[in-house]
Amino acid sequence: MKSISSNLFSGIMASALIVAMPFAAKADGHDGAMDVPKITSEVVLQGLENPWDMAFLPDGTMFFTEKCKGLSVRTTDGSVNALYGVKGSSGYADSGDDLFCEAQAGMLGVVPDRHFDKNRVLYVYSSSTKYRGDGCKTNFEKCDGNIVMRFKVSDDLKSVSERTDIVTDIQYKPFPSDQPFGDPGAHNGGRLRVGPGGYLWVAGGDRHRGICPQDPKLLCGKVLRVDMDGNAHPDNNPPEGFDKRIYTYGHRNVQGIDFRPSDGKAFTAEHGPWHNDEITALVNGGNAGWDPAQNTGGRGECPDQYCGYEPNQTESMDPAIRAAYTPMSDTRFEDLMPATWNNNGYSQGTGSAAFLKGDNWGIYEGRLAVGIMGIGFSGTPAGSRIDMISITPDGLGINGIVRMPLGFSKRFRGLVMGPDNALYVSVDAGEIYRITAESLQ
Amino acid sequence: MLKIFSSFFVFMILAYPQSALSADIAAGEARYKETCINCHGPAGKGAGSFPKVSGKEISYTTDKLEAYRKGIKQGSNSFLMFPMAKPLTDEEIANLAAYLEGAKYNVE
Ligand code: HEC
Repeated sequence: MKSISSNLFSGIMASALIVAMPFAAKADGHDGAMDVPKITSEVVLQGLENPWDMAFLPDGTMFFTEKCKGLSVRTTDGSVNALYGVKGSSGYADSGDDLFCEAQAGMLGVVPDRHFDKNRVLYVYSSSTKYRGDGCKTNFEKCDGNIVMRFKVSDDLKSVSERTDIVTDIQYKPFPSDQPFGDPGAHNGGRLRVGPGGYLWVAGGDRHRGICPQDPKLLCGKVLRVDMDGNAHPDNNPPEGFDKRIYTYGHRNVQGIDFRPSDGKAFTAEHGPWHNDEITALVNGGNAGWDPAQNTGGRGECPDQYCGYEPNQTESMDPAIRAAYTPMSDTRFEDLMPATWNNNGYSQGTGSAAFLKGDNWGIYEGRLAVGIMGIGFSGTPAGSRIDMISITPDGLGINGIVRMPLGFSKRFRGLVMGPDNALYVSVDAGEIYRITAESLQ
Repeated sequence: MLKIFSSFFVFMILAYPQSALSADIAAGEARYKETCINCHGPAGKGAGSFPKVSGKEISYTTDKLEAYRKGIKQGSNSFLMFPMAKPLTDEEIANLAAYLEGAKYNVE
């Protein structure tokens, strides 16, 4: 158990903000004392293998995925039941022979249905060999290899049944390519969340294929909004000729998606290439502006037809040149959704994001907590951290960023708010943490 | 005295080039935490696209780091290792290899 009080920090913040907001400070009757919460963390589970995502029931029951193993649940008494494994896993009540993991791919997102208490429905994202057909002979074919499954969870939380695959045609990268991290299974997105209206949101990735993000029919590089059966939300508004399940397109690798509590607006956090990462306020039918296709936008041919790391894949170079060559948000698109925040030339990798809910978070309530995993490549500052970002009401900019005072640094992969208003965080090293905030006022 | 000691030290390194005797595990750990940890995770546990580097024989790790230092490609992501290995001295490589051989991950 770690306990880091952020008093020094709070002092600095308080004085900075008092100057900035004299009226607000007076208005809330605290004479300028800001409510900076005490943030502490504890390990909830450890010894896991690449825990990727978590999902909660109102009583605190926690479902979680391990990328190369499968789906499990931690019940309220703390015991863990292994529910549904990938092929070759052991100890699970059941498993899917078609499910597998490879490099970045595997069992990823998990989320319960809005009416879980009545229907016991849970959704899970995974890579699967079931729907490949003969469309995966090369990296330049459709290759349907990521799916969304719907399960029914037993009352005793010991098993799942009635697996129904509700989205079966999200693309997959079957072979290695001439790219950094060029292994098969690249860029799957994979986060699943249920939005304010009860629909299921599926965050995707470009699977290292140049044409994916801007293609009207392929589901790679898209965010989908679908119902329980995987059908399009009737109000989805992608451009003419697009697959109606698409809510937004032009994405690279969306590993974070959450909805702002104040207005329900969807925000994504995207893992960027060598020169950027982005947070974006989504607009129905909008274009996030990522287009790594070759022979377009002023680009020539690129290795394996993917310009995502060009014009120079592996050497250091001025990030501005990279950004000009293959921007994360290409302004030549008229339907571009401008980024809320971008990493301004740094390549660090934003993994997951969750809005902080509950007044126990004090001045951080309503901020977007974002896991950032800096590896220190090419002059970019290293270090993994969770940033708490204050987003402007219009969603088009930020007011400021505060680093969460945790006292440790790990690759923060999955961030989810629990029903106890604590932030739960999975790290690549194998733990799930519970991070609590305690208002001191 | 200092001279005698240091020549003895050189002798040890020459005589046992890959022996843990000549390596400083604590220094290896400190060096590991400077940069390596950002990709390979705590105690060389590995994560995501970054291989596990703990629990390997000292000679294996030494050979790998020397190869990266020379710019010799090993796997498909060697370009990420080249700049990391380039500044390493022989002594740092020995220390890192010794530390990683027995590094154990403990959740803090
Ligand atoms: C920027 C990320 C990054 C950093 C920092 C980094 N490595 Fe690596 N390391 C990698 C990658 C990626 C590979 C696999 C490279 C390949 O495909 O050849 C690797 C491979 C290795 C290997 C070979 C593993 C095997 O069994 O093939 C060793 C040993 C190693 N690293 C040690 C280190 C040490 C020691 C440091 C610190 C001086 C370090 N690394 C820093 C990314 C990194």
